Amino acid sequence: MIFITGPLYSGKRAYACQALGCSMDGLADRAVWDVQDLARDCGDLEALADRLAEREAVIATEIGGGVVPIDAGERGAREAAGRLSCLLSQRAERVVRVFCGLPLELKGGGV
Amino acid sequence: MFTLVVGGSASGKSAYAESLVLQSERLPRYYIAAMQPFDDECRARIARHRKMRADKQFQTIERYTGLSGLVLPERGDVLLECLGNLAANELYDPAGAGIHALEAIVDGIDALLPQCGDLVVVSNEVCADGGGYSEETEAYRRLLAGANRALAERADRVCEVVCALPYYYKDRGRGV
Repeated sequence: MIFITGPLYSGKRAYACQALGCSMDGLADRAVWDVQDLARDCGDLEALADRLAEREAVIATEIGGGVVPIDAGERGAREAAGRLSCLLSQRAERVVRVFCGLPLELKGGGV
Repeated sequence: MFTLVVGGSASGKSAYAESLVLQSERLPRYYIAAMQPFDDECRARIARHRKMRADKQFQTIERYTGLSGLVLPERGDVLLECLGNLAANELYDPAGAGIHALEAIVDGIDALLPQCGDLVVVSNEVCADGGGYSEETEAYRRLLAGANRALAERADRVCEVVCALPYYYKDRGRGV
């Protein structure tokens, strides 16, 4: 599994298409995205990460870069999203951060 | 050489971008300023920066929208600051391109490139905090991120400045 992360609108899905050799229309068959939203209210992040890791590519938007939210629910959701990304990163053969459409290899890929 | 310099607020991106332009030691050198003077605080900041850049032999050109119509007095090295302001102007200013803001920005860069020796464009990364903004702000974030991706594709070099240090995602000269 290749885990792809990066800021919102940074070109993560376009990179996934390139890495998997598929079109944007065909991406849903090979990959799953916006998994940061699945972490919210998830009782078992390890099990979620195991399930997601069966896909060829998993894409998460980085959401931890701003001020810690005042609302406890939002704070918990952001925390869970960050932890899920760490768990996915452990399970991935390759981890890539996409920035302005450009990939940075954080794990695997000859690094 | 076209370099895109991206960074967060107060990351040191402006000073680093300026140092890149000064490296060539060629003249003329132009500073294209996209920030509009909305109030006295802006005007004071602009006046101070203008003086600093004049000492470094930059000629300042103020251009808030419609970059594609800009003709430089002669070929030179250019520092454009910043894409975040230009995007806001194109999107929100009555003189801007509105829903065609992305094309206006990208066409503007394409028109500027053949007039430049070195071009250094400063931009902001504003999409790493998850969102929850109004639709109006999201439209701005989509625009700026789209402009960043389009320029990153065109640029010879793309770096992110963190704590005043550049990290290069792309550097054609070094095969990165």
